[in-house]
Amino acid sequence: MNAIRALALIVALLGGSVARAGNPDPDQLLRQAFDNWRGKTSHTTVEMTVHRPDWERTMSMDSWTRGEDDALVRFTAPAKDAGNATLKLGDDMWIFNPRLNQIIKLPASMMAQSWMGSDFSYNDLAKADDVLTEYTHRITSTSQADGHAAYEIEALPKPDAATVWGKQLVTVRDDGVLLSETYFDQDMKPLKQMTTERVDDLGGRPYPVVMTMSKTGDDDRWTRIEFQSGRFDIDLPGALFTRSNLRNPRDFGTGAGH
Amino acid sequence: MLTGLAWRNLWRQPRRTLLNTLSIGFAAMVMVFLLALQLGTYASVKENVLKAFDGYAQIQPPGYRDDPALHRTIEDPGMVMDAAKRVAGVTDAAPRASSFAIVSRGDASFGAAVTGVDPALEQRVSALHNTIARGRYLEPGDGAAAVIGSALARNLGVDLGGRLTLLGEARDGTVAADVLTVVGVFDTGTRELDRQVVEMPLTRFQDTFAMGKAVNVVVLGGKSLARLTDALPRVRERLPDPDLRVVDWKTLRPGVSQAITLDVSVSMLWYASLLVVVVFIVLNTLLMSVLERTREFGVLLAVGMRASLIGRMVWMELLLLALLGLTAGVLAGTGLALAIGHYGLVLPGAEAVFAQWGVPGRLFPRLDAVSAFAGPLAMLAGILAAGVIPYRRIRQLEPVSAMRAA
Repeated sequence: MNAIRALALIVALLGGSVARAGNPDPDQLLRQAFDNWRGKTSHTTVEMTVHRPDWERTMSMDSWTRGEDDALVRFTAPAKDAGNATLKLGDDMWIFNPRLNQIIKLPASMMAQSWMGSDFSYNDLAKADDVLTEYTHRITSTSQADGHAAYEIEALPKPDAATVWGKQLVTVRDDGVLLSETYFDQDMKPLKQMTTERVDDLGGRPYPVVMTMSKTGDDDRWTRIEFQSGRFDIDLPGALFTRSNLRNPRDFGTGAGH
Repeated sequence: MLTGLAWRNLWRQPRRTLLNTLSIGFAAMVMVFLLALQLGTYASVKENVLKAFDGYAQIQPPGYRDDPALHRTIEDPGMVMDAAKRVAGVTDAAPRASSFAIVSRGDASFGAAVTGVDPALEQRVSALHNTIARGRYLEPGDGAAAVIGSALARNLGVDLGGRLTLLGEARDGTVAADVLTVVGVFDTGTRELDRQVVEMPLTRFQDTFAMGKAVNVVVLGGKSLARLTDALPRVRERLPDPDLRVVDWKTLRPGVSQAITLDVSVSMLWYASLLVVVVFIVLNTLLMSVLERTREFGVLLAVGMRASLIGRMVWMELLLLALLGLTAGVLAGTGLALAIGHYGLVLPGAEAVFAQWGVPGRLFPRLDAVSAFAGPLAMLAGILAAGVIPYRRIRQLEPVSAMRAA
């Protein structure tokens, strides 16, 4: 009897330590997912479909990123939206609207508002990196997806961090592909989630090429982004991420001008 | 017979009775007047706060209160307004559409609650047009015009004739962008309004935000807040679309409602202390007179009058005394309230405090059944309850020992 109990204990201990040894560092894993997502620099073309109960519309955009802080998104189609652009430099964001022919700095009070009518808020764009820097991470479960191990990481705000969310659950594949991200409010209720629907090769790396953001419990309101093409770790001119380029797009030979 | 006896007993000590009547009467008068003044002030606070922007009541699409999103709309505002106005007590109805958008000028940009209003109808349901500090309010026929709050104007560095750009999200998901000329700057004294609100003509708003003919809310107006609030259940029945919500002032401004509730509770303590003091004064003199008359009661018992009957007689004396005092008090209190209600009560130096609540410097007592009778009735009940003490004392009297008492 004692022998059996001892054996069970040994198996449990071994099993536990094996699982622990197999789990990668959650910080590392998230960092890998973000690096995979945008590289040192990136240029992607994206189609964004916004679905509402009474309408659905699809827009095309060009998007460039540099490092963790800087990004430029310029809409190219349809005609009604073409020319609208968003520039992010560090924590600041500017919007260009061709009809007003004016650059407008986004006021802090508008950060929670929807970006271009989608289910993404300006915060989702500006503070995407917060999950890396402002939260503590813990792997809560492991599963299999398409022949890869997938890790669910629970991200809780650091004690003094001023964060948008009360909690985030992020699922990352062992090769750094982001599979899902769920956003919880301060009462730990899930508010919305982004789910990867298709993983494919993009610019020579495995990439979540189709992702959908939707409000929890509302199937009739969602936004899908679909990556058409992507190049990573390319040379981008510094002048790309400037307010003057936001207003007067120049062709830098990267498809930056239109 | 008992009543007659009690009445005559009262006037055996005319000075004591008069003094008692006076203290009861004075307390009743103070209660009537203060309560009327208090109710009048509440009504004035409520009406002023609500008139500043929200309106006395609103008809809203489902879910709008928790999430006032542009896509939650009333598709046929004309029909809803007509239905509401057919209800007695509802005198006005005005459509509004509203969205949170970026307002900017040059390098300055702020988030603002941009509201499209019908310039003519809006002036009948809210008082924003009365707080225009510079320029004018919107007029029928205005196009790319806006009136904005004084703090927002200062923050943006814009004044009359200046141009604002507006950037938001239209109902169809496209970018809503517009350029408006400032025709007026309002100064309500309420920070949130002066810092956040931009009003523009509804038709222009509907174009810019791709709303078609739809609006977000219908604001209702009435002769007074109380009358409109009474009419709301009937508005609810008449609405063409049962999904629409009728939202009363308590829901629009829960803060005001809570502040009033708190104030009522605090003043109830004051009224209760006043009541207790008066009851004790009356009880004191009554007990004294019962002690003085112990011999007399002993004689009454000896000739065969039942103790309970004597007790009831004394109780009746108390009742008559209370009625006398309260009648005088109610008359004096209502007279005072009516006289001051005619001119209004000016409290020097209190204007600044009142301005926070959007209340004018003059207070008007509001006389109604509640303010006139609630206090006096409570006093009557208190005095009659106190009468138990002498009653029980008399029931314990023994004829012989009572007659021997000093």
